[in-house]
Amino acid sequence: MASVRLENLRKEFGSVVAVKELTLHFPDGKFAAILGPSGCGKTTTMNMIAGLETPTRGSIYFDDRRMNDVPPGKRDVGFVFQNYAIFTHMTVAENIGFGLKIRGVDEATIRREVGKIAELLELTDMLHVNAGRLSVNDMQKVALGRSMIVKPRIFLLDEPFSNLDAAFRAYMRGELKRIQREIGQTMIYVTHDQVEAMSMADHIAVMDFGVLQQFGTPDEIYNQPVNLFVANFIGSPNMNFIPCYFRSEDGRGYLVQKHGSARILLDDRRRQLLERHPGNQDLIWGARPEHLTLHAEPSRPEYLQATVRFLEPLGSKTVVHLELGDQDTIKVIAHPSYREKAGTTQWIEINPKYLHVFDAKTGFVVR
Amino acid sequence: MANIRLENVTKCFGRVTALQSVNLEIHHGEFFCVLGPPGAGKTTLLRLIVGLEKPDEGNIYIDDERVNEVHPRDRDIAMIFQNLALYPDKRVFDNIAFPLRERGMPAEEIKARVAQVARMLHIEHLLERKPGKLSGGERQRVAIARALVRTPRAYLMDEPLANLDALLRLEMRIELKRLQEQLEETLVYVTSDQVEAMSMADRIAVLYKGVVQQCDTPDNVYNLPANRRVATIVGSPPMNFLTCQVQRTDGQLHLVHSGFGFQVIGSDHPLWDCLCRALPAVQEVLVGVRPEDIRLYPEQPTDIIAFPARVAVSEPLGAETIVDVQLGRDIIKVITPPTQYFDEKQPVWVAFDMAKVHVMDAQTGARIYTTGAPEQLQCILPGTCA
Amino acid sequence: MNQRPTWQIVLRYVLVLIVVGLFTFPTYWMVSMAFKPKIEWSTAHGTIYWTPQDPTLENFETVLTEYRGKFFRANQSSALPSIRSSIIVSIGGTLFALLIGTLAAYGLSRFSVDTGDLPWYIALGRLALLILVLLPFMVLWAWLGIIRYWYGILSFTLLGIGADHLIGRLLALYYRGPTDSLAFSILQLRMFPPMAIVIPVMIMWSAFKLIDTWYGLVAVYGVVTFPFVVWLMKSFFDEIPRELDEAAIVDGASNWGAFFKVVLPLAKGGLASTALFVFILNWSDFLVALLLTTRDWPTIPVFLNSLVSSEIGAQHGPKAALGLLAVIPPVVFGILIQRYLVRGLTFGAIKR
Repeated sequence: MASVRLENLRKEFGSVVAVKELTLHFPDGKFAAILGPSGCGKTTTMNMIAGLETPTRGSIYFDDRRMNDVPPGKRDVGFVFQNYAIFTHMTVAENIGFGLKIRGVDEATIRREVGKIAELLELTDMLHVNAGRLSVNDMQKVALGRSMIVKPRIFLLDEPFSNLDAAFRAYMRGELKRIQREIGQTMIYVTHDQVEAMSMADHIAVMDFGVLQQFGTPDEIYNQPVNLFVANFIGSPNMNFIPCYFRSEDGRGYLVQKHGSARILLDDRRRQLLERHPGNQDLIWGARPEHLTLHAEPSRPEYLQATVRFLEPLGSKTVVHLELGDQDTIKVIAHPSYREKAGTTQWIEINPKYLHVFDAKTGFVVR
Repeated sequence: MANIRLENVTKCFGRVTALQSVNLEIHHGEFFCVLGPPGAGKTTLLRLIVGLEKPDEGNIYIDDERVNEVHPRDRDIAMIFQNLALYPDKRVFDNIAFPLRERGMPAEEIKARVAQVARMLHIEHLLERKPGKLSGGERQRVAIARALVRTPRAYLMDEPLANLDALLRLEMRIELKRLQEQLEETLVYVTSDQVEAMSMADRIAVLYKGVVQQCDTPDNVYNLPANRRVATIVGSPPMNFLTCQVQRTDGQLHLVHSGFGFQVIGSDHPLWDCLCRALPAVQEVLVGVRPEDIRLYPEQPTDIIAFPARVAVSEPLGAETIVDVQLGRDIIKVITPPTQYFDEKQPVWVAFDMAKVHVMDAQTGARIYTTGAPEQLQCILPGTCA
Repeated sequence: MNQRPTWQIVLRYVLVLIVVGLFTFPTYWMVSMAFKPKIEWSTAHGTIYWTPQDPTLENFETVLTEYRGKFFRANQSSALPSIRSSIIVSIGGTLFALLIGTLAAYGLSRFSVDTGDLPWYIALGRLALLILVLLPFMVLWAWLGIIRYWYGILSFTLLGIGADHLIGRLLALYYRGPTDSLAFSILQLRMFPPMAIVIPVMIMWSAFKLIDTWYGLVAVYGVVTFPFVVWLMKSFFDEIPRELDEAAIVDGASNWGAFFKVVLPLAKGGLASTALFVFILNWSDFLVALLLTTRDWPTIPVFLNSLVSSEIGAQHGPKAALGLLAVIPPVVFGILIQRYLVRGLTFGAIKR
């Protein structure tokens, strides 16, 4: 096991900068995720860690050893890719034991280790099945087992679940996390699916256009996004963003909607912060759909008036789309039995604890 | 507008049966979703309706006309393919105009129609470009425009949003729904994403291994799943299933699991009837509970009966946290609010929402009964009955 | 990945230069010889001139004009008729092969019928055709004394068929896909040693009075290059997603309409590169043309061959000059379709 440290890592392909001055530290024995939309440089970063790409500048350290010049075969890195490369002419047991066999480990040890891994992955019943006959789901498990058995220092996974069906993906998320906790393996997981990153990782690095946007625990990424990109990318349905400006009246601070009249009263800390902020006439406030509540009556003055446009019933909850002001739409998560008709007036309560204010020009959160 | 009816349709490819005795009726102006995992036969179903494949058995009717032998061009149905199938060497304008030209429409009229559709989908500025230069969402719109321009009798869509990124998918979902409401046309939408099906459809047909498992409104598919398959396909994370032994002692009926037990109240209860009629054939049933219908308590609650369990792992998603809990010999998934925090290996108490418990046949997976009120099944602690 | 020491890089370039020299020297020699006067290109005199000392167009004059006609064979007094013949026959053969090959390739690419044992029957049928039809035909002609040494021809043919069949079956076993094996049995046509089929063809052609005609050659070229066209075009059609034709059909096109309006325009690049490839094959063919032409339609390679004979000696200079001229059409053709060749290569990028 080892920690991974990237220092000012940069990768150019011709004139295209794939990764820009990336500095990151993935701690030993933890589960880290690199998250971003396609083309954000996450796979390039992983390839550089694995040694498949040479960085243009910067260094890669495993623990304290600089790895830039170590060839990929000697880095002791395990891989699992989206296309499970398993040997279909071998049994499951032979597949899992393959890594040990080519390292010349004796039969008895291989059998013991394969047994352990199979138990961890719940593959014990099918050890003697020909791997070509497995379902897609089980093939991915075998691929996992085959990489795990050699106990690499770093375990890299590149969207390993994207070919699996939804139900099994949800199951494997829990499984992989449990396995990682059990064996304490350093894992780096590359994905574009925020649910996977949020649910499994101890730390998430969010990337866009080759630039690291934020690095932190899932809780930090979700509840304290540093900019509009992170706030928008994490969470489904995504955060509501309403363009607004700051107004101070009688010693009170308000956020006033640009395309409408919705006003949010600010607490003192926020008011002082925004008073000092130079771009306070061009702001965006953001709130997640689950932090908003709908009321039928304006029982408190700070509720915002909105009109229901349509509903998305999802079974476990209903996403209500409302119109706030002239052209802003706002999504609110309501109870699954919520069935108000389009055109109904509703009152939205905002939990001030979960209100985010961003500078519209720079995209950064105001704090 | 068209009414599409499939009657006992079976389709095989070599030895593989893609669809088996499918009976469906899709009504005028309906948003109809076909939901199923990859390989369930969804795409084959669309291809049969549009005429790219012929059924081995059974009949397909469009507006009560049997169309088994009708060439796709004469069926007047538009289809949007999963990979969109835009003609890469043609400009967007020519892509959209293609169906009209094939019908020999005069050039002036084509121009007007394309312009009208382009305006509707906000792609007027893209007409001169080639599809390769467009973003994913723009290509999506062009594909929709190509289908809309000819005002067909029905629209078929094959996972049109599958290749888009999450945010764009959300946006297009809303747009599609709005478009369909505007057009009031029949739309058959194939997807493997249950969220899409639940949020957009008027009715959903759940397809698994070529067999229609259930065809009903989203509410009913979610709350009254016909069988174990449907309950697994709809809902994320899927419904938890716990194998219980059926035990009948001293005029009492119990469902016993390694981690909990239920008592069926009252011999006049329909569930009692169902189970007793099947006894002794039925030794086991599956008790299904959705992850959001389970509550976790760090301490034993006093007002309701809860069962002792242990946290295996927790997956925070931000808006909610999914906790994997070891209950008896099974692991169940529970959705908890993000404010509640559970450590790994922490002992917890599990309580079910007794109004939403499904009982299914362990062999066939078919639903036997769903409780509608808390008092129909009563919780008992395991070990309190024989 | 890692930086190598300087001497390795130097060595690498030296090796590259040597290989490049080896490959380009013959071309250089041909070009330089084309411009040398007779005194320089003939070996009579013992000295080797590395460059033309006294550049001249005399060699071009020799091959292109009539006045030294008596040197050449078969009343051909200049190379002009052979150039015409080469152009007509190569282009004709290419068009013929493209026409039938492209349609066959589309069929193989799109309509995946489970062919089962069909390829086997095709192979068998080919064998039967050769044994039952061709051989008696040949035997008859031999009997009538029209060809001599018929046993020689017979054993050659049988050997060819046997080898073809064995190799073909073994490779087809390796290729197990249902459609591929059908396509493969088409490629198998190419596994005859050319000599084995050309002689029977020559006998047949002479019976049908097709020897020394342009259409006789076009037919043979078309059939011989047909398997290449099928294989190349099939791989290009396979690249084009099937949904495109289906979308066209659903949009109201007929099956032919989908092919001509949607698929073929997309395969333009592939069609161009296939055409170039087949054209070069036809253009450079010597064997078939040698056996199937006599007076009127010898092609450039055949004519080049006649520039060495006991009567006229080895005419190296005129040969080099004609060789240089013969290079021009493929190069011009290549430049003309270069745009499509490049598009053919980048085609995959616009699909997704």
